[in-house]
Amino acid sequence: MQQHWKRQAQACLLPLAAVLLLFLAVPLVIMIRQSFGDQNGDGFSFANFMQILSQPFYYDAFRNSFFISIYSALAGLILAMFVAAALARMNEKAQEKITLFINMTANFAGVPLAFAYIILLGNAGILTLILQHMGIPLQSFFNLYSWQGLALTYVYFQVPLGVLFLYPAFKGMDQRWGEAAALLGASHFSFWARIGIPHILPSVLGTFIILFANGMGTYETAYALVGGTVSLVTTRIASSVSGDIFAQPQIGSAMAVLFSILMIAVLLVNQYLLHLFRRDIK
Amino acid sequence: MKKMNRCIITLFVAFMCLPILVTLVYSFATEWGKSILPSGYTFKWYAQLYQDPQFIAAISRSLILTVVTLAAVLVILVPSIALVAIYLPKFDHLFKPIVLLPYAIPGVVLATGLMRTYTNGLVPLFAVLSGGLFIYSLPFMYQSVRSSLQEIDGTRLMEAAEMLGASKVYAFIRILLPNIKIGIMVGSLLTFSAFFGEFQLTNMILGGDFETIRIYMLRVMKVNGHLSSAVVMTYLILLVIISALIIKLTNMNRKRSSMMREEAAFKPIVKGSPAHELLNH
Repeated sequence: MQQHWKRQAQACLLPLAAVLLLFLAVPLVIMIRQSFGDQNGDGFSFANFMQILSQPFYYDAFRNSFFISIYSALAGLILAMFVAAALARMNEKAQEKITLFINMTANFAGVPLAFAYIILLGNAGILTLILQHMGIPLQSFFNLYSWQGLALTYVYFQVPLGVLFLYPAFKGMDQRWGEAAALLGASHFSFWARIGIPHILPSVLGTFIILFANGMGTYETAYALVGGTVSLVTTRIASSVSGDIFAQPQIGSAMAVLFSILMIAVLLVNQYLLHLFRRDIK
Repeated sequence: MKKMNRCIITLFVAFMCLPILVTLVYSFATEWGKSILPSGYTFKWYAQLYQDPQFIAAISRSLILTVVTLAAVLVILVPSIALVAIYLPKFDHLFKPIVLLPYAIPGVVLATGLMRTYTNGLVPLFAVLSGGLFIYSLPFMYQSVRSSLQEIDGTRLMEAAEMLGASKVYAFIRILLPNIKIGIMVGSLLTFSAFFGEFQLTNMILGGDFETIRIYMLRVMKVNGHLSSAVVMTYLILLVIISALIIKLTNMNRKRSSMMREEAAFKPIVKGSPAHELLNH
């Protein structure tokens, strides 16, 4: 009877399994297969991968995405640490309000965000104008429609995400730890070196990796802000798969495979680090 | 010290609000760009927008895509998550990695796979897009439904219902699902706002052939900034209402479950247990 019921329950999972198969597993397998094929998806060779790794047109996309994501993740992380530390010391009500506020602003990404920054800092942007009146020619050292603008807009969504991830760790830091350490003769510096930083380090590293992955996967903001002028992994893949003129789906598939491998590697590093630190804490 | 904290938070809020405020002012400005302040204020962009049949069409397309996909998620995904959590724990480890799915398989990768598989026209592209969105709703739904199940202790609830003579199917539909209703609603609202604002898969798979609200936004942005900021503000207000609903429901859930826990602690178990509450009606 029990066995019979189990089988029925498993049968109920078939529709979900079908969806996962049709829209996740099969497409991924076909994409991987085509990444080794020629224009028609036939044959088997590493030619597509070799082409990506040897032609700057393709590997630049990886390099640009990588550096913009690293910079924006670092800047976002540092700013988020200040905000999270300050937030953890506010009263309970204020904390709740700010987390709500962050959740609300999470919807402001992609096209709206790119658009708002164009109004602010674009060629005829308001801040550009104000700075010009003050005698600072912003455009001589900052170009919104380049990697600089991308990094800046990325920071806008990295900071709140970082705050959400870091804030629990800062909240978990008891003020009495500092008092106890001071009573036992620890200096401010040695408190942070021995207690404070080891306590928040796992969250900081984990957050950095999530922010980095988040930056790497960003497509909409980049597409809306710079279109194709800055080559990024996401926009380059998209244009080689769905572009009408330069469509090279097999290269797009190979780039997508490499991209996914890179992201999974990053996540595995994250898991490993967490594991390492968790054992440390125990 | 306290002053500095306040200062940091204020700066942060200002940093986050600045782009939104600028967009808001821009949507009411007759012209802004020649001088520091707008030359005048008007409602004409909103009037123009709401009379644009393409805007109405774009909103309708986004709504259709969202509602169809969400319905599939509610019918197929939600019962499966609950079923696995309660009866088939050995499948649970298959579910856990999906929380990281959006990072491991970014949208652009899945879209590439879907396009390489389905551009031959075997399956209508709308269905392909909807299937892709379904995949990305997994993390939201899984987390909302799972945390809801944990709060009501779903396994024991079902055991209790069966012991009192309810059949498995009856208990699942009439007792378990109503009890995790709030979790399902929170997950649905999260999924709704994600689907409604979807850009990446839509743009790659259907592009200009299926102009949703975000694609419309981008197209208008290149023609008329004021009109575009009116679209952005309309869209944001809609999403803020949805977020407010999510928060309200989450708080309700929290209050309800903490009340139950208190009751269970202070009163005889029978009365406080969720199973009792449910078998009553």
